[in-house]
Amino acid sequence: MTDRCDRRWRLTLTLLAGAALAGPAQAATPRNALVMAWNIDAISTFDPAQIGEVVTSELIQNTCDALASFDPKDEARVVPALAERWEVAEDGRQITFHLRDKLVFPSGNPGTAQDLAWSMQRVVKLGFGNAATLTEYGFSKANVEQMISAPDERTLVMKLDKPYPTNLILQAIAANRVATMQDRKTLMANEVNGDLGNKYLATHTACVGPYRLRQWNSGESVVLEANENHWAGAPKLRRVIIRHVAEAGTQRLLLEKGDVDVARDLTPEDMQAIEKMPGITLARTLKPQLVYWGFNNAHPAFAQEKVRLAMRYLIDYEALGKTVMAYNGVPRASFVQLGAFGALDAKEGQPFSLDLARARQLLSEAGYPDGFEAGMIFSTLPYAAPIAQHIQANAAKVGVRLKLEQMANAQLFARHRGREFETVIAAWQTSIPDAQGNASRLIANPDNRAEAKLTQFPSWRHSFQSESANRIAAEALLERDEEKRAALYHQLQRDMMQSGPTAIMFQTVHLAGVRTSLKNWTWHGFGSYYDMAYKE
Amino acid sequence: MADVAAMPARRRGRGNTAALPGWVGKAARLIVSIAVTLFGLMALTFFIGRMLPLDPVAAILGDNATQEAYEAMQRQLGLDQPLYIQFAHYVYDIARLDFGTALTTGKPVLDDIGRVFPATIELATVGILIGTGLGIPLGVLAAAYRDTAIDYFVRVFGLLGYSTPNFWLGLMGLVLFYATLGWVEGPGRIDTAYQWDIEPVTDLLLLDTAMAGQWDIFRNAFGHIILPASILGFGAMAYISRMTRSFMLEQLAQEYVIAARVKGLSWGRTVWVHAFRNVAVQVVTVVALAYAFLLEGAVLTETVFAWPGFGRYLTNALLGGDMNAVVGCTLVVGIIFVGLNLLSDLLYRVFDPRTR
Repeated sequence: MTDRCDRRWRLTLTLLAGAALAGPAQAATPRNALVMAWNIDAISTFDPAQIGEVVTSELIQNTCDALASFDPKDEARVVPALAERWEVAEDGRQITFHLRDKLVFPSGNPGTAQDLAWSMQRVVKLGFGNAATLTEYGFSKANVEQMISAPDERTLVMKLDKPYPTNLILQAIAANRVATMQDRKTLMANEVNGDLGNKYLATHTACVGPYRLRQWNSGESVVLEANENHWAGAPKLRRVIIRHVAEAGTQRLLLEKGDVDVARDLTPEDMQAIEKMPGITLARTLKPQLVYWGFNNAHPAFAQEKVRLAMRYLIDYEALGKTVMAYNGVPRASFVQLGAFGALDAKEGQPFSLDLARARQLLSEAGYPDGFEAGMIFSTLPYAAPIAQHIQANAAKVGVRLKLEQMANAQLFARHRGREFETVIAAWQTSIPDAQGNASRLIANPDNRAEAKLTQFPSWRHSFQSESANRIAAEALLERDEEKRAALYHQLQRDMMQSGPTAIMFQTVHLAGVRTSLKNWTWHGFGSYYDMAYKE
Repeated sequence: MADVAAMPARRRGRGNTAALPGWVGKAARLIVSIAVTLFGLMALTFFIGRMLPLDPVAAILGDNATQEAYEAMQRQLGLDQPLYIQFAHYVYDIARLDFGTALTTGKPVLDDIGRVFPATIELATVGILIGTGLGIPLGVLAAAYRDTAIDYFVRVFGLLGYSTPNFWLGLMGLVLFYATLGWVEGPGRIDTAYQWDIEPVTDLLLLDTAMAGQWDIFRNAFGHIILPASILGFGAMAYISRMTRSFMLEQLAQEYVIAARVKGLSWGRTVWVHAFRNVAVQVVTVVALAYAFLLEGAVLTETVFAWPGFGRYLTNALLGGDMNAVVGCTLVVGIIFVGLNLLSDLLYRVFDPRTR
């Protein structure tokens, strides 16, 4: 009995001592590690053929090198990566890549051009969303083995069905992770039901890059470990630890205490407060993502250009830019993001302002002097509801009665893809710093029939098809004179701001709070470069 | 054997037929009732999940997928089949303990639950210990000193526990105890520096580190858990103290209490030994219920404290349209409630001889 009592007391004292001795939080991250707080709920796979969301794209960028990549200092410039150089055939229909020596997978297997060709063919064969990056340029399941081949261990040949601008192809393979080198032997050894290693890559990486995935605990953390044998040299920070922190307020506290080096999901209010704090800086870069108000052109009112134009005059770009989107975005009405090839400049790319009289006049000219009723669906993203309410209030002043409906992102996505909406507040992110990226999706629509089900085209989702827009986009795609090509995109942007299927509203901004103890945090709209960061 | 043979035939027969069917019948009723409950839960969640306008295929394939790829994935997931066939397949898989793969994590649902559940068990257990440790004494004191300052304090304190949002309380707690005073560790289960030093046995960090004698890490884990557990415990305390007070008031009005006092028993002994013993059974049920609610996962607390637990997993699965994970989690919650109800029944038998 006495022993039992003693044990009980010892346990109690241990617990109390634990409480008393739990001292102040450790206020510094390890010197050889980059520690980030980020909402990483969206991670569901590390398969470059399948990834589509921001977090995994960034992680893959830091774990799997592509044939070519973007210059960390200039997102519009493509620089060598796995390929140290390349040549383009005179007719523009073939690119020959020459790979670096000493490419080694984490498994120890040597990385060859055959692995790379197989990896690219695999993307097309699996047919996930990323396959579109290649199928858009004429690759298909039937021809991909002939069109992408490896005549020897260091050479990869890519044949094209048309003479596309080389830079466009390079940007596409740099941005979309469709030209990463996967460890074929490892993946095939782990193949399940002919999935080419897709299931294995749900929880592993098997490629050549500055880091490798060491651990992923869903909803908890991701740990990357430096690749000591990387062709560009080992990264200075040996580990990257991403702590899953969903709550912005918690991220801010961790950053203030120095328990993380970078906080990725701070709110505008947090940003405002952090800007003035010693030891923390605000990192900011434009994202290639546009927030827009989209109109279903199958609705009789929105089928009319003048109605769509009138809607643009209901948006107070300036006021929203200074309030709701103060830190999140910059006003933008053009469908081409700032920084991309062919983009109109900031002034010409946003000519609209709130003008109810003009909106009323356009509605009258379109035959809707008393307005009309329509629905508006939007997601749970923080900025969506305030923007929706802002538009609703202005629309009511010109007789347009908008019925708002907020829903979970997955639900919105399904409604949008199924054309089951009248208007929608949504976002679209292109994967290349070229006007073609959005022209080919937001504007061009090869087949507007319902049965065509081109759900990957927002233009199709909006039931919008314009022959002239299709023609200009197709012409610009194959124009090899850069000046002429840019001029075509300029024309298309001006046209679409007047008659396009969506009122583009904002280009979003990547924001992060960064401790000043972390040096050289480098990022732009198409990537973040962990291997360039260091601590003194 | 000889003794049995010596028994009167009538008694022997009654003994054999009465004892065996009694146990078997009860056990059979119990098993059938659990099976029906879980099957109903599974069917309800499955059909609600299929009726929701969520699109798991689009969630897997992404924005850029072609319709061809979309339809292929639909076939692969069996979503092109009639609903009753999908359900039949689902029941068959569950019977083999195959809950399918979670779309949001790419891992088997059971593995996911096995990974997130220990975090919630640990948090809920510390939370319920705090809630019970404070709630029962406060409830008894409030009843024993009814309409005095003690009673008012307990009632107001309990009201605060009920009405203060955990989300707000969590953030305020972090600002005060973590960011300002530095008394506790920050969000998460453990410091990054210790992440690789633990050999997981039960995945309950306090237990694993204590068993391994890693007292530095134990202190760190304790520093992480104490604040979220206290906040959860505060809510549980409010519920337990109010219910305990209510049960005790009823008992203290009984004649046997007056008789005990008249016989010269002290007030403390009358309250704690006589009255409290009579409400213990009800209190056990209340504690079991409070524990079950905590085990369900406290989504907001887990979110604020970056606690990789069950509640957050279930919420993410819901928002991501991941019905495999949602149905798996719902069944686990069902099993928790059934299990704790059973436990509470058993404890009834321990505390209340009349139910034996």
